[in-house]
Amino acid sequence: MTQHVLLNSVEHKDLKVITERSAKYGDNLWYTVTFPLEFRSVQAHYPIFFHKDAATGQFYAVALFGFSNEDNLFLTDKGWDASYVPLTIRRQPFLIGKQVVREDGIEQEQHVIHIDIDHPRVNKEQGEAVFHPFGGNTDYLDEVGDMLAAIHQGLNDSKVFIDILLEHDLLESFTLDIELDNGEKHQMIGFYTINEEKLNMLEGAVLAKLHQQGYLQAIYMSMASQSNVRGLLDRKNAQHKNR
Amino acid sequence: MQKAVTKIVIVGGGTAGWITAGLIAAEHNADNGRLSPSPKLDITLIESPDVPTIGVGEGTWPSMRSTLQKIGIDETTFLLQCDASFKQGSRFIDWQETSKPSTTNNMPNGQHSYLHPFSLPIGEPQFAIAPFWLPHKAQISFADAVCQQNQVSQHALAPKQISTSEYSFINNYGYHLNAGKFSQLLQQHCTKNLAVKHIIDHVTDIVLVDETTQTDLPKGDISHVLTQQQGQIHADLFIDCTGVKSLLLGEKLAVPFINQKHVLFNDSALAIQVPYAEDNSPIASCTHSTAQTHGWIWDIGLPSRRGVGHVYSSSHTNDEQALQQLMAYLKPDLGEKAADISPRKLNIAPGHHQICWKNNCVAVGMAAGFIEPLEASALALVEWTAKAVATQLPPTRGTMDTIAKRVNQQFQHHWQQIIEFLKLHYVISNRSDSDYWHDHRAATSIPDALTEQLALWRHQAPSQHDFIYREMLFPAASYQFVLYGMQFETQPQAQLKPSMKQQAQQLFTENIQRISRLRQVLPTNRALLNQLKLNGFSKI
Repeated sequence: MTQHVLLNSVEHKDLKVITERSAKYGDNLWYTVTFPLEFRSVQAHYPIFFHKDAATGQFYAVALFGFSNEDNLFLTDKGWDASYVPLTIRRQPFLIGKQVVREDGIEQEQHVIHIDIDHPRVNKEQGEAVFHPFGGNTDYLDEVGDMLAAIHQGLNDSKVFIDILLEHDLLESFTLDIELDNGEKHQMIGFYTINEEKLNMLEGAVLAKLHQQGYLQAIYMSMASQSNVRGLLDRKNAQHKNR
Repeated sequence: MQKAVTKIVIVGGGTAGWITAGLIAAEHNADNGRLSPSPKLDITLIESPDVPTIGVGEGTWPSMRSTLQKIGIDETTFLLQCDASFKQGSRFIDWQETSKPSTTNNMPNGQHSYLHPFSLPIGEPQFAIAPFWLPHKAQISFADAVCQQNQVSQHALAPKQISTSEYSFINNYGYHLNAGKFSQLLQQHCTKNLAVKHIIDHVTDIVLVDETTQTDLPKGDISHVLTQQQGQIHADLFIDCTGVKSLLLGEKLAVPFINQKHVLFNDSALAIQVPYAEDNSPIASCTHSTAQTHGWIWDIGLPSRRGVGHVYSSSHTNDEQALQQLMAYLKPDLGEKAADISPRKLNIAPGHHQICWKNNCVAVGMAAGFIEPLEASALALVEWTAKAVATQLPPTRGTMDTIAKRVNQQFQHHWQQIIEFLKLHYVISNRSDSDYWHDHRAATSIPDALTEQLALWRHQAPSQHDFIYREMLFPAASYQFVLYGMQFETQPQAQLKPSMKQQAQQLFTENIQRISRLRQVLPTNRALLNQLKLNGFSKI
């Protein structure tokens, strides 16, 4: 179960958050949401695809960690085996919330930090402290704040990016068929990728606009990231061999 | 006669007129939904300012999805603007007398009911599964054995999820819609995006070519229509969408009308709109058709209201009795208010014109023919005729008669099939509560071809081989769903190949698995339509 509450230094002064990566803390995900502003770091390790949110039908970019539900091939006994962990994983158990405050009689919407106090990472014994013993944010919490701000900005930007992709028919669905060394076959459906044929036919003016917005780079980074499927396959094959 | 066909005039708006305008414009004047810089055809629709559209015809077939897509309307806009919902088939209630108990086709209250769904049986068209169901008919209904929509529709579930792209489906579907709003949307789209000209004026006369006319058109063709404000309007091809009046094809060109009342008796209808009890009442996933003593009652669920109507034979009952039965039908929902309803009376001349295309005039919709809406064939025929004109548009007047002949032949086959298929629903009923039902089974009222087919189907399930024309409105599967929904007896085959039996068994198992999975993952019609207001379907 999850229970999201507004983080505050009174009620939550003794809280600690375990930052170790493990299935028991909910890291056994086969993909997570990502966005163009972190594509540069993500594409170095994970394939980037596009996927629809089951609840809204809207597209978002995802970094892929495995080939089936709950199968995260980067998760080892020693933690997460890659130098970059996407922000939407690292933010756990915190999330961004909205609060309406009155400042000089004017109502304003502010972003605030919420925490899922039922999250298995949250406890009072081990991990990173959230607040200093006599009040004040720890560096860890400041880092979390920066992360949440980056995610918020990144997702807003991602929506613009995806709307542009859709406007120019630049997404296409594809089926990823993989065969493991032991003959086992997996078929993954429901993922989308850049339609390279359409991309190559784009007019100069559209390309210039994409370039100015920084999205041309994002498009090419997501395309290049597909070579990481090979790395995922190697990890999967190795996992089978060691069993 | 060598002049290219470039100018098309459609007389009459309504869904027929605007669908025709949209399909022809999309085919010839646009590419991928974008208007070409130099449109090939000049398309004008003339609509009278004060002729009300009839406003029934609220059910479509799945063909409407490709029609809308072709015209270039996005599905979310269509659904929200036309107060539309998803239709997965037709449920027939009380078409069989309940004294004959059935373990598989009864509703909880004992009424007989079955679904004619839009999906083909599982395994079709590669594998014909009906013969393998026959030995199991006592255990499971045909619809539940071979498709998922009977169960899905009983829970008012949608045919897709919010993440399914527009016009794609998990289960095949058409729509229930508000016909008036649909016309408006089509009109907006056709005039704004497809450069169809819209003239609002009275057509006062239709003028034929004679010896005195200065024209390339042959004698007997329509030279022009005369309008009150705009004077003469000429065209190479005229499309008659004037409804039952059939002003061009029927009246001016005198194409004979073939009355079918001797086969299908229903010639009257009482129609009414019924509010939901609550804002979030379920929206039915199929049209409900409940048989009465002298006809049947349609019940169509739109997001904001239901459309209900009693269609009946004036030779067997009178308006007052029909009204009483409609009130009785609505009583469980409306309570005492059911006694206050004042439905609209519609008269139907069941039948069609001998041909739909004569000289330089094609009739689309009710101007070509109309029959009781038992299988919602009206809009489907509009789409078929409009598509035929759009895709086979003759290049010149000289080649027009060749195309017309072809289209007329197919038109006749379609009408023959519609009449026989609708008649089938009555012929195999065991109802005996009125002369109406007895008369429907009188041999003299049954087309010979249907009688022959029924004799054949006593010994084998309907198959594609029973229909010699390629382009059929109703596939063999439709006959199977109706026949077996009505507990028609086909002798099971003595010898079924074991390998194929095994294959059929796998399909039956897969169908059961799909039913239970879909019941978990599909939202209700209401929930999906609410979601759509926040996020539309994506294109891909």
